[in-house]
Amino acid sequence: MSKARSTLLAAAMLLVLPIAAYVALYLLPLVSIGGLALDNGTLSERFPTLSARFNDSAGVDDAAAAALLADLQAMPKKDRAEVGRMFNQELGGMRSLIIDTGNKAAGIAPTVAGLTAFNAAWGDPATWDVVRRNVEPITWRHFQKATGIKPAPGGGYQMAAGDDIYLRITLRTFVISAQVTLLTLLLGYPLAYAAATGTPRVQAVVLMAVLLSFWTSILVRTTAWVVLLQTNGLLNDFLIWIHLITEPLQLIFNRFGTVVAMTHVLLPFAILPMINVMKTIPAAQAQASRSLGAGPVETFLRVYFPQSLRGVAVGGGTVFILALGFYVTPALTGGPGDQMLSYYIADFVRKGLNWGMASVLSLMLLVCVIAMVVTGALLRRALGWNRATGGTA
Amino acid sequence: MFGYMKLAAVSAAALMAAQAAGARDLVIASWGGNYQDAQRGAYFEPFAKEKGIAFTETTYLGGLAELKTMAETGDVTWDLVIAEGADLQVACDEGLLEEFDWNAITGKDELMPDAVRPCGVGNVVIGTGLAFNKDTVGEAPTSLADFFNTEKWPGKRGMRTGPMFNLELVLMADGVAPSEVYNVLGTPEGLDRAFAKLDTIKSDLQFWDAGAQPVEWLAANNVVMTVSYNARITAAKRDGKPLDFLWANPIYSIDSWAIPANAPNKDLALEFLSYVNDASRQAAFSAQMPYGPTNVNAPGMMKPEDAAELPAGKNIETGLFFSDAFWTDHKDAITERWNNWVTQ
Repeated sequence: MSKARSTLLAAAMLLVLPIAAYVALYLLPLVSIGGLALDNGTLSERFPTLSARFNDSAGVDDAAAAALLADLQAMPKKDRAEVGRMFNQELGGMRSLIIDTGNKAAGIAPTVAGLTAFNAAWGDPATWDVVRRNVEPITWRHFQKATGIKPAPGGGYQMAAGDDIYLRITLRTFVISAQVTLLTLLLGYPLAYAAATGTPRVQAVVLMAVLLSFWTSILVRTTAWVVLLQTNGLLNDFLIWIHLITEPLQLIFNRFGTVVAMTHVLLPFAILPMINVMKTIPAAQAQASRSLGAGPVETFLRVYFPQSLRGVAVGGGTVFILALGFYVTPALTGGPGDQMLSYYIADFVRKGLNWGMASVLSLMLLVCVIAMVVTGALLRRALGWNRATGGTA
Repeated sequence: MFGYMKLAAVSAAALMAAQAAGARDLVIASWGGNYQDAQRGAYFEPFAKEKGIAFTETTYLGGLAELKTMAETGDVTWDLVIAEGADLQVACDEGLLEEFDWNAITGKDELMPDAVRPCGVGNVVIGTGLAFNKDTVGEAPTSLADFFNTEKWPGKRGMRTGPMFNLELVLMADGVAPSEVYNVLGTPEGLDRAFAKLDTIKSDLQFWDAGAQPVEWLAANNVVMTVSYNARITAAKRDGKPLDFLWANPIYSIDSWAIPANAPNKDLALEFLSYVNDASRQAAFSAQMPYGPTNVNAPGMMKPEDAAELPAGKNIETGLFFSDAFWTDHKDAITERWNNWVTQ
């Protein structure tokens, strides 16, 4: 009996294996991103003496100065450069200060006065502040930078003017995504309706147009919008030709260009789910409504529209979540005030070599998506959609 | 586990390397476009032919992400890379590049002193300055200050993304002498002054990432003037586009060849470093892509009309030599302020 049971257990395990693997593959990167955001091992492991010193006592004293010099001397030269670069992310000039101090550590008196005599920057509390905060194994500096909330010098927390930059960019990312979602739904709904209820010929034409666009590379479609909207582009030339305007309009490198291009790129993701749902709404219901005396508008609003809302929700949700992560399209069609969070994530990875900051911003984006999904679920409950009454799927 | 993301980031590169494991080709990373085309003709192909080897090219977009990943994973997929000075310095200090013996490199005596670096062989002098479209600009601008004159020249203006190069140009436009630019920029008041000047044209600014963008923007009349690299404009001129580059207070900087630490074809790469120093090969490169040679004898070997397009001689008399040291120290803080300013 126990043998049979263990065989059963083994079989069950085998069945679960793919799901477990999937979850692991999905969660591992998330966990590692979270780790990168907090992990300060690169710095703390290289300052063992100083780290221990700061754990014991709070003050910057001669013992701390000696510990700093000892740690810098023990480090290979290239490690000093890396440590210096990471400190430099917080305070300009730290890189050359660390490299210089490390290279000449043997000739510096191991006291605060000795360090200050070597370079006046060591007499500045701000310098020591940076060192002290960053020799701990866990760092909150990336989160502090992302939220703009920093520890104040005298204790407590503060938020300096302009430090909310990433919060503002997150808000902007949300606003652009919402604008694009709204537009795709407004444009997509009639198209989806035509594709779901029109004659076979209309259905084929609409579906083909949507799919062709769907199958074309995002980069190609974005570049096409640049060609259309630029100063001497097709649209401006046409408007001038019909004497509607005399000077070309600025249609690109601003919010207008960004939203137009993104709307076009994301339109299929709104239309396809709506078509799916609309196809399941029986035409007989509308006929029944008409025969019971309701006009076309009332029939649409009370019979058709509520049933199609599920498609609108799926399409809109997909577009919104995809829009949150957009990078190439705003980079090519937007102005400096239209760049979204992904732009800054890429910038930190590629140019800043600051994976911690990139991780924190990715987490911010993730939190936005989770917030969206939760809002969606709450909305669904509020609207009374569940398996029992949802009907169509 | 925290290395997982870094690993994932190079999985594609690692895959390529795995396929080419063993005695693989010499892999050269450069900036792409006609820059790399000119290098292929002047250096890569003749070098490969002379040595009887095969080479593979790839694209590098600046920054240290690739070099850092190669060092951390131990999977060094490049043998040679051409990098900007500030990145070169940081990568060299952090051990991401081979520190080679300059005595093993030929041609050192003929190079500009600034081209001789611990981990790099300076090879290409880049001019960065103001460019415009002669057909649409109206009266041609004559100084950097004209970039800020929106009354006489209304319309969008292009700048490179980020503070580097831009802030130097802004201060020179505001009347700071080239020799004083970094002293001024190093003070909080100087930085405020640069941003205050930028504020006057903020709503007209458009930023580019790739060197090809300003050329397209000028040709399509999307911007009235733009900061650009000199050779991109000359190349467009030779294609018949009505563009021009203004040699008033240009910034010049040097791109250097370097070898990633522990590159498999290190010895061959070292030979390449000597190969690129030759005056006649540099002249051939500069004739096709009018960036400056670092070999001081090269301009004399070129046709005078080609040499007149280079960031050299009288073209850079009012110029500023880009400071790698300033930017390695101040890039993080100033970029943060820049981003903040841009989003406000």
